[in-house]
Amino acid sequence: MTLRNLPLLFVLLGALIGGNRVDAADKLRVVATIPDLKSLTEAVGGDLVDVESLARGTQNAHEAEIRPTMMLKLRRADAVIENGLELDSWVDVAVNGANNPNIVRGARGRIDISRGLPILDVPTIRVDRSMGDVHPLGNPHYSMDPGLAPIITQNIVDGLAALAPQHRAALERNRQTFLGRLEEEMTRWKKTMEPFQGTRVVVYHPQWIYFLTRFGLTQAATLEDRPGIPASPGHLVRVIEQMKAERIKVIIVEPWNDRKLAARVAEEAGAKAVVLASMVGGVKAADNYFSAIDYNIKTLSEALK
Amino acid sequence: MHALIVTCLVLVIALTASPVAGQEADALRRELDQMRRGFETMKEQYQKSIDALNDRLKRLETTPAPTAVAPTVPPPAAQALQAAPPGSGLGSTMSPTDLLRPREPFSLYGRRGSGQLLFDMGIAGDFVGSFAPHNVQKSGAGTFGAETNRFFPREVELALFGQIDPFARAEVRIEASESSPGAETTVSLAEANLTLLTLPYGFQAKLGQMRNRFGLTNVIHEHDLSFVDRPNVLRNFFGDEGLVEKGVEVTWVPDFLPFYLEALVGAFNGDNAQAFGYGRITQPLMTGRLRTFFELGDTSAIQLGISGANGQTADRLSSTILGYDVKYKYRPDGWLHPLLTLSSEGLYSRRRVEEVVEVETLVDTDGDGIPDTPVTNLVGKKSTRDAFGWYLQGEVQPVRRWAFGARYDASQFPDRPGFEKAIEPYVSFFPSEFLRFRLAYKHTDRDRTQIEGFNLNGATARTVNEVFFQASFILGAHPAHPF
Repeated sequence: MTLRNLPLLFVLLGALIGGNRVDAADKLRVVATIPDLKSLTEAVGGDLVDVESLARGTQNAHEAEIRPTMMLKLRRADAVIENGLELDSWVDVAVNGANNPNIVRGARGRIDISRGLPILDVPTIRVDRSMGDVHPLGNPHYSMDPGLAPIITQNIVDGLAALAPQHRAALERNRQTFLGRLEEEMTRWKKTMEPFQGTRVVVYHPQWIYFLTRFGLTQAATLEDRPGIPASPGHLVRVIEQMKAERIKVIIVEPWNDRKLAARVAEEAGAKAVVLASMVGGVKAADNYFSAIDYNIKTLSEALK
Repeated sequence: MHALIVTCLVLVIALTASPVAGQEADALRRELDQMRRGFETMKEQYQKSIDALNDRLKRLETTPAPTAVAPTVPPPAAQALQAAPPGSGLGSTMSPTDLLRPREPFSLYGRRGSGQLLFDMGIAGDFVGSFAPHNVQKSGAGTFGAETNRFFPREVELALFGQIDPFARAEVRIEASESSPGAETTVSLAEANLTLLTLPYGFQAKLGQMRNRFGLTNVIHEHDLSFVDRPNVLRNFFGDEGLVEKGVEVTWVPDFLPFYLEALVGAFNGDNAQAFGYGRITQPLMTGRLRTFFELGDTSAIQLGISGANGQTADRLSSTILGYDVKYKYRPDGWLHPLLTLSSEGLYSRRRVEEVVEVETLVDTDGDGIPDTPVTNLVGKKSTRDAFGWYLQGEVQPVRRWAFGARYDASQFPDRPGFEKAIEPYVSFFPSEFLRFRLAYKHTDRDRTQIEGFNLNGATARTVNEVFFQASFILGAHPAHPF
């Protein structure tokens, strides 16, 4: 390699910059960061999309291990559907390693589903890490609230239709079908949860606020001392005392969190620790959006009886 | 609405009016006309105000809203997408003309929401305590050289990173450290580079000053290392700082293979004093790397890589380094951290070296034309020197807060004879994701016959026992690390 070869390198780079390729595959290749969004995209996209998820339902979506196989999926993707609100910001590293201009931040194929959602737990005071792993943009765990599915699916339709405008009508039809079923299921779910309006529960990680609020329940405490910070013995003692005093019956645990610890705390407090699907695929019976929420409703209502 | 108000007024007037004379009726009609005109004027004014408000609303909607604020009324998602910045989608339609078009990056600043930066910022602090017997301190041949038996800031790094525009992102890292014992701290530019993200055909280019993607560990900053110190082989082959160069790296990720492959080629000045110090892009340091990855199920995976670099030393002598790297992780389903991590890296160096050797020649001292007296001269003699070094690391993290590991090092020296071996067990404690303490013990054995470089100031460091304490923290943003 000598100086004579350097201009060749720049000419090559210039040619590459100008020669972008537009894929014309029949199906849109979509990568969702979490399985909830994969399931919803499948519901909306139907046969028009091939969807893969980067994280698995049993994982903590905050801390997915960034594997090069993620980059391979992203390399071939027409679109990335991300949760946003800093839940899945790790996807930036995977996207940067995928060398795919269609999905870099700012591109049309980058679809942030959190746009337009009514976000809960938005800090109204100054936040810093003394409060744990806080989310300055608000609580990002909205995807398992079926009441928000209409907005989420609308965002998916709009995002995909921006890439493939010819499919907008079909996407919208699929969405309406999905929403029709959702309405039926919602009526049933609300009826099941009606007797527990106002019930207070303890959660391990503060990721159930949307779900609880939707069905009229209240989060009384968290097993984590602060978000993302492992519980200290002193904090657990305080939670147990609170549970006893308020006769709280249930601790909700995520599949990825310390179930043994939750079970010990529940035993001390005379309550039950139940594992709910924090995402689609979080437990065996929760392999799609409806079955995941159905599982959570059934499990929680049984535990609260 | 205004028509309704007018109608009501007319009705009120009509209902409350008593019978009047004809002239009074005309006067009243005129008055009514005046009122109607007044209402029409007001209506026009209201309409103008409404139009102005509508325009303002549209302008606000086309400005990206600060996402930190929860919208009280969710805007229709379609509008939200329409409100995407004008740059959206340029990734797939960019042309050289787009690139040449003037842009206004600073106008973004003016449109930002309150409290929002347009890039991320973080500080990483890494403090190390190195403890060793006096002979090691005196010889200066401990792992941290002159910093032996000191507690010092090894690296306090300010990192700024984010998108420059829709086409590129940038990363700047400014580093302060104690390079020699004393109160003074040296501040230097650790990295400053931009990455072109929107090249087609799976290409990406990174330009500027960077830690080279050579092997596993070189690219990692001190505070993110899995162990306290860089492996011996890397320090011996690339120096204490590792391979940090100015130039360009181009990567390619093909999309037609059934497995992940990343190919990299780079051209750099060659500023590494240890291996490639010629320092001219006209005779560049060329680097290359292939990296692949295989998932062995949901819970374990292995990454394999080979790397190569060829350039010239400061003395314009050829230098080539080849390397392999392997990393395996086992992370049980649902765990927040790996249970087992195994990694290994090896480097092979082949370089020309010039050694000063004694050459004995015969000199004619009696003037008879026949060399008769032996004279010893010092001359430089070039030769090729091969060296190899490697390390193996294993780490077990059975619980979230604690990790236990050990590293074995074996390395020759690329520019002189001799070798060294070391074993370093360590334990790490993580109070949180952003804070870590580490304690390590390192035992090093060096070649008995070739310890010139470790036998200084009247002290020897053939065998070295050291204890390290490390405290690292992260303040603010810190990018996630790939596998």
